Amino acid sequence: MTDGASSIGKRVATEAKAPAARVSLGRWLLQNIVWLWLLGLIVIFGLFNPYFFTLNNMQNIMVQATVLGLLALGISLPLLVAEIDLSITANMGFSSVIGAIAIGYGVPWWGGMLLGVGTGALVGVFNGLCVTRLRMVSLIETLAMMIILQGALLAITEGNTISNMPDAYIWIGQATVATWPVMPLVAVAAMVAVAIMLRRTVLGRSIYAVGGNAAASAAAGIRVNRIKVIAFTLSGLLAGVAGYMLAAWQIAITSNQGDGFMLYSIAAPIIGGVSVFGGRGSVLGVLGGVLLLTVIQAGLAVVSFPSFYVGMIGGLMIFVAVAIDAIRVRVSASR
Amino acid sequence: MALTESTLQTNSPNGAPPAGDVVLRVENVVKTYGPLHALKGVSLSIRRGSIHGLLGENGAGKSTLVGLIAGMRTPTSGDIYLGDRSVAGSDVQSMEEAGVFLVTQEPMIVEELSVEENLMLGRWPASRGFIDRGTLRARATQILEQTGIAPDASARTLGAVDRRKLNILRALHSGGQVIILDEPTTSLTVADRRQLFDFMRELKARGVTFIFISHYNEEILEICDAVSVLRDGLLSGESGDLAHLDSAQLSEMVLGRDLALFHRKRRSHADIPEAETIRFRDVRGKGVDVAAFAIAPGEIVGFAGLPGSGVREFAQAVFGLRPARSGTVALPGGKQTDIPREPKTAFDIGIAYLSDDRRRDGLVGIRSIRDNIVMSSLDRLARGGWIDRRREEETARHFFDRMGVKALGLETLADNLSGGNQQKVCLGRVIATGPKLLIFDEPTRGIDVGVKEDVHRLIDQLTNGGTSVVVVTTDLDEMVRLVDRVCVFSGGEIVETLVGDEIDKERLRAAAFDRRDAGNGRVLS
Repeated sequence: MTDGASSIGKRVATEAKAPAARVSLGRWLLQNIVWLWLLGLIVIFGLFNPYFFTLNNMQNIMVQATVLGLLALGISLPLLVAEIDLSITANMGFSSVIGAIAIGYGVPWWGGMLLGVGTGALVGVFNGLCVTRLRMVSLIETLAMMIILQGALLAITEGNTISNMPDAYIWIGQATVATWPVMPLVAVAAMVAVAIMLRRTVLGRSIYAVGGNAAASAAAGIRVNRIKVIAFTLSGLLAGVAGYMLAAWQIAITSNQGDGFMLYSIAAPIIGGVSVFGGRGSVLGVLGGVLLLTVIQAGLAVVSFPSFYVGMIGGLMIFVAVAIDAIRVRVSASR
Repeated sequence: MALTESTLQTNSPNGAPPAGDVVLRVENVVKTYGPLHALKGVSLSIRRGSIHGLLGENGAGKSTLVGLIAGMRTPTSGDIYLGDRSVAGSDVQSMEEAGVFLVTQEPMIVEELSVEENLMLGRWPASRGFIDRGTLRARATQILEQTGIAPDASARTLGAVDRRKLNILRALHSGGQVIILDEPTTSLTVADRRQLFDFMRELKARGVTFIFISHYNEEILEICDAVSVLRDGLLSGESGDLAHLDSAQLSEMVLGRDLALFHRKRRSHADIPEAETIRFRDVRGKGVDVAAFAIAPGEIVGFAGLPGSGVREFAQAVFGLRPARSGTVALPGGKQTDIPREPKTAFDIGIAYLSDDRRRDGLVGIRSIRDNIVMSSLDRLARGGWIDRRREEETARHFFDRMGVKALGLETLADNLSGGNQQKVCLGRVIATGPKLLIFDEPTRGIDVGVKEDVHRLIDQLTNGGTSVVVVTTDLDEMVRLVDRVCVFSGGEIVETLVGDEIDKERLRAAAFDRRDAGNGRVLS
């Protein structure tokens, strides 16, 4: 900026430190770093093993990304209101087993499915009420809930795996149309729905506002507690849907169903730019984080690394993603 | 006035002081953030044992400059000398060791620690890494004597005023040689302010130097020995002789133009039938006990009172932000109902409130100007939960223009605006709800003289449309120029009402701010 600029112009520029002022290439790359890193990894894995580029493999990745996608989407909502729901993966296992048991007692498959999803949502409502009415800290409350639900799942299954499910129930996890699996459509639909909700509705706007500054939101006439309960409820609902998907896909509910998703479902939205401090994040970012983590998992399985190293290398790749994201946040926040 | 177009030389115009007399020297300092130039080459000298005023509009670069001096940021180019030593680029810790302390605008308090630990934050008496509790307590007790703050209390329990005092006391008692006070008086009462000034003069006599940032010309003229004025990141004027300056000249230096002071034409609303007023009755709760208060359409009522007098408690109770035990409200043409239990209800019936602390509960800083402006009107702009994007855009645009917000556009984040523009966004938000009664808590706190006049004009215009306005303020100048009637609070009640010519500074000061019965009297020692 030259000193010859008009004084009004200068003043406006000083006050409005908007990124729109000068979007450099470097900045653009940094903003979309999740997608670039994703693309880079696909290329790298493909070079190691050309199978990675095949349609079959890509379809596999999409199927694997479905459950993680629903979980990450669910956990994003409490994150957006500056809370957290650690019980989501345990809720997934617990709610699906409730549905499956009901089916075992003669409830039609769709009744069991709805019961499972409803159970998930109810757990969410309960979490939300604990956090808002009782002022429990969500980190600990949902951690306790996670342990309770994991224990309940083990108690209900008595360590056994439930695998006698009706064909109609598991259809969604198995069906293909011209080799394309149907299951990922559920995650896509959920993401589109949540994205529209966040961008176009009063609820969505309120979620961002509450996460950005709860005190200001309350003083602006937003019912903060209600918004938080809704966020937890939607989180539980999505856990229920994820539980149905996982059971239908694996055709089984084990006594520790879903445990492996725990860390990934929290890491994905954060890698995708959802702030743990609330108020920031988008569904597109969540999708990026989910695909990135899924590609890392699938890629390491395809590339013939010695199996002892796989865990460590996967961790390193996630570490790099988080580090790059931290740099992105710092650069775009620098003022 | 020759001063306004003053030289950009390093020394003050009233004769160059001997070099040894200068304690702090800033030389051609530039600070850029990406493409933006916050400071474009500023030089100034500050004499030992003086109180040096630093003036300028919001966004002129004052906070950036003192941040550089205190070691919070590093200048892009240029140098800063403490005595003969270059200190540009030092960190806060080493600047404090060198005796330079910054008391920031927002009180810096670690809520998890006790008062005494905060009082010596980072400078705890210690031996071998362990804090020496006995010494800490003894020194804290001595410093806090007469302030009414208990050294062992949790900092979390402190109110805004006590937090600020604690920060100031920390700097004053930590051996500071150069103490920078960034708008230290904004939440202080008149009595506290006087104590602060007395203490500053006492330390000054002992050779301590102050850099004093304030938007209040009166304060600058009262306490400062010299001033420097920043405008658009450049030094636009300075003076070492304040005896020959007046408030209007200071404003002109700050704005670069004449400041047209706004005076509302005071109106009497005594003949308005009661049925046409907004009436509150029996508002009772913690710290508030108001039997009756009524306000006419188009009237501006000022609320005056010390913290704890019930003034803020009443304002927040009728808005539902701090629900009272009981209370009723009747709007013109409506029947009597209970006062709102939550802000949402208040907005729905036409009562709006804007808090005194926009960063705490006025704005969502990480959201855009648009989101902030429409935040309280979302229900009105939506059908069945779906936001009508066209109406949203129109509303946001309308109030953006009407408030005169200066920013690149509606997408700019609220955090990236200067204080004055943030306040305009907040005003836009509450006015957009189309309220019948608007309650402003310190509407011009921390914003510069130019924006202050804009805000006063806006409030005046609102009343032409029949909106009733309550202004809670400790700024006597604001009170005198803006309101039709003053209600004085004490002990939770309205104890006195001033109208017409009774509203002048001396009377207000005596009636509202010098009350001995309001408690909370002596605090800063």
